[in-house]
Amino acid sequence: MALLQIAEPGQSTVPHDHRLAAGIDLGTTNSLIASVKSGLAETLSDDDNRTILPSIVSYQANEILVGDAAKQYSISDPKNTIISAKRLIGRSQADIEKKYPHLPYQFVGNENHPDIQTRQGAINPVQVSSEILKKLTKRAEKALGGELTGVVITVPAYFDDAQRQSTKDAAKLAGVEVLRLLNEPTAAAVAYGLDSGTEGVIAVYDLGGGTFDISILRLNKGVFEVLATGGDSALGGDDFDLLIVELLVEQAGLARPLSVNLERQLLQQACFAKEQLSTQDHVEIVLTLAENNEYKTTLTKDFFNTLAKPLVSKTLRACKRAIKDAGVSIDEVIEVVMVGGSTRVPLVRNDVEKYFKRTLLTSIDPDKVVAIGAAIQADILAGNKPDSDILLLDVIPLSLGIETMGGLVEKIIPRNTTIPVAKAQEFTTFKDGQTAMAIHVLQGERELVDDCRSLARFELRGIPAMTAGAAHIRVTFKVDADGLLEVTAMEKSSKVATSIAVKPSFGLADDEITKMLTDSMANAEQDMQARMLKEQQVEAKRVLESVQAALAADGDLLSEQERNDISNALFQLVEITQNSDQNPTGIKDIEVAIEKVDNLTAYFAELRMDTSIRQALSGQKVDDI
Amino acid sequence: MNYFDLFALPHSFEIDLAKLSAAFQSLQKMAHPDKFAHASSQQQLLAVQKSANINDAYQILKTPIKRAEYMLQQRGTDMPSEQTSFQDTLFLMRQMELHEMLEELPHADDIDGAVNAANETLDNEYQILFCQLQQLMQDNNTASDKIASEIVRKLKFYQKLQLELERIEEQLFDE
Repeated sequence: MALLQIAEPGQSTVPHDHRLAAGIDLGTTNSLIASVKSGLAETLSDDDNRTILPSIVSYQANEILVGDAAKQYSISDPKNTIISAKRLIGRSQADIEKKYPHLPYQFVGNENHPDIQTRQGAINPVQVSSEILKKLTKRAEKALGGELTGVVITVPAYFDDAQRQSTKDAAKLAGVEVLRLLNEPTAAAVAYGLDSGTEGVIAVYDLGGGTFDISILRLNKGVFEVLATGGDSALGGDDFDLLIVELLVEQAGLARPLSVNLERQLLQQACFAKEQLSTQDHVEIVLTLAENNEYKTTLTKDFFNTLAKPLVSKTLRACKRAIKDAGVSIDEVIEVVMVGGSTRVPLVRNDVEKYFKRTLLTSIDPDKVVAIGAAIQADILAGNKPDSDILLLDVIPLSLGIETMGGLVEKIIPRNTTIPVAKAQEFTTFKDGQTAMAIHVLQGERELVDDCRSLARFELRGIPAMTAGAAHIRVTFKVDADGLLEVTAMEKSSKVATSIAVKPSFGLADDEITKMLTDSMANAEQDMQARMLKEQQVEAKRVLESVQAALAADGDLLSEQERNDISNALFQLVEITQNSDQNPTGIKDIEVAIEKVDNLTAYFAELRMDTSIRQALSGQKVDDI
Repeated sequence: MNYFDLFALPHSFEIDLAKLSAAFQSLQKMAHPDKFAHASSQQQLLAVQKSANINDAYQILKTPIKRAEYMLQQRGTDMPSEQTSFQDTLFLMRQMELHEMLEELPHADDIDGAVNAANETLDNEYQILFCQLQQLMQDNNTASDKIASEIVRKLKFYQKLQLELERIEEQLFDE
């Protein structure tokens, strides 16, 4: 780590180096990575000049293949070749099997977050996604010529907490720093918004391989305020394919169960046919049922449209609801941005255009637009554009609540609330002498627990024994800017520290992630130590830079004594960090040194923040803003 | 900090939503965690907290009923809790009638017409109460604030009916 100089008040700090950052569109069927190079966001390609990486991972005997290399095994070796892992992430086995009954995988392990049995052992969808992330970040580091500071990973706006958390876990496994999880429609709006400088209400219609999102945003002077979002995290272009598959199975008189190879063949043919029908009126489909036994049929565009119509109508109903939630009328929508490969289907374009009565924005490649938007945001978040006016204000897509008596859900944070958000609610005991309480956190819009998605169960223990209704338990829900939830609880009247056991209903627990990480490392213990040390060193550097910049700007808010104390603590931190590579207790020492700086600067940091907030509106009349 | 002061707006129930929104965006440009993505954990946590406060204040001022509740609370009026029994029997009877009206909707001959009529009825009765609230909030004395708090509670009943109607509407027209 380079020696850092301590700046005196009023003295400006050294300008930052350009930090390498990238945006990743981690898609159901395809993934991309993009970065801002000399002011321009562009997708990065591999050695063979391909920008699109198929989201396929194949577990072969001696290697893990990702992308096109894995795709060639998808028919011949379906059990070991995982496609569309995004549909499985953060989902229970029951959820998966209900929605996709014909998957070739053998699920094993915990049914709340099932693994897939491959020849390389049990593999969790989180691990599959992390392989894709690793491949993409390697590509970027090669193309950009250095290590990435961090990435922005996009997720469907409609992803729930478990799906978001799992995506972040995948990044952790891949060893990449996540600057932000960004909603795909917002990313697309950024990609377009910058080009056109639009002001007003826009709609982003995002139909990807496996998910559908609709977002309504208000654009104003660089601020992208999401007003409402809706959709279906299990509805996408793949469903058009499945409809064609079912049609073929019926027409060819095939009886299920079919061989896994035939299932994959059907799927590939269906996808091919759908794509052809975007430009042709009919398509020939040929299936090899057995050796010397081919089945041939013709699918017309009209018939395909009849099949697909109900799915498209379903997306339009979600649009209607989102517009209503946004509190705007359909005539206020000035632009409609189309995102996702499935928006190439002519029926989709036609019906969406009719519904909004607007010409659709399709000028940026719908496959690339999300990655490009993510790259622009990553560049800003990495700190490369300190003067940027862009601010993304996103919302929580589904209401959060907890279970109350009688299997009902009480909503604590309603859907479409701008994040970050913190809400507290008080609960009480219903039995005399009750000392424990179970808290069940749910996400969804329905009234009954069974119709919502279970996120986590808590046990609150150590409530002092009181008469029923006397205890006041304050449960706080915090959703950060990534849309991730954290719940804490305490008993108010006694101030007794209560223990909380968090158990995510879906997705992996922290120790499971750590175990996967260590399992993947050759010299688990040392590698893990090295990684943790590096993380602490990075944090130390951030603390130094933050505090130095703060002192330089507002050091005069402090007394000389306070400044000296902080400077001394910073010197110590620099020294400890510099020697940490050789120091066996380096990780812990940095942590302690950071804590010391944090304690000394806590009041200063808050004071600065409050001052900047107050000053944001003073000195200028509200009319001028 | 008082929410009106936070957004540099006059302490009044009548509010300029465009100004509120502009002030909100200016504040978030200073406090949002995205502005601290490469800063220390301490600063990031602080940003999340401040940004969440601004969001909360914005939600409260933006929504008329929440705004009224907040102002009444600031003026020291105790809000009657939802569980407290309602004294106004006429109002309660009207609520029951309205509930029945909603329950009958799926059985109407002309469902579209019935839904529209129900929407209009709820809207009208809400508006009448809301106008009273506007006047009372302006009066700004102990007696008017007490009545205002009761009207806020009544308006919440209408909000629930509105949500119920939306739910029914969605069910009727969804499939």
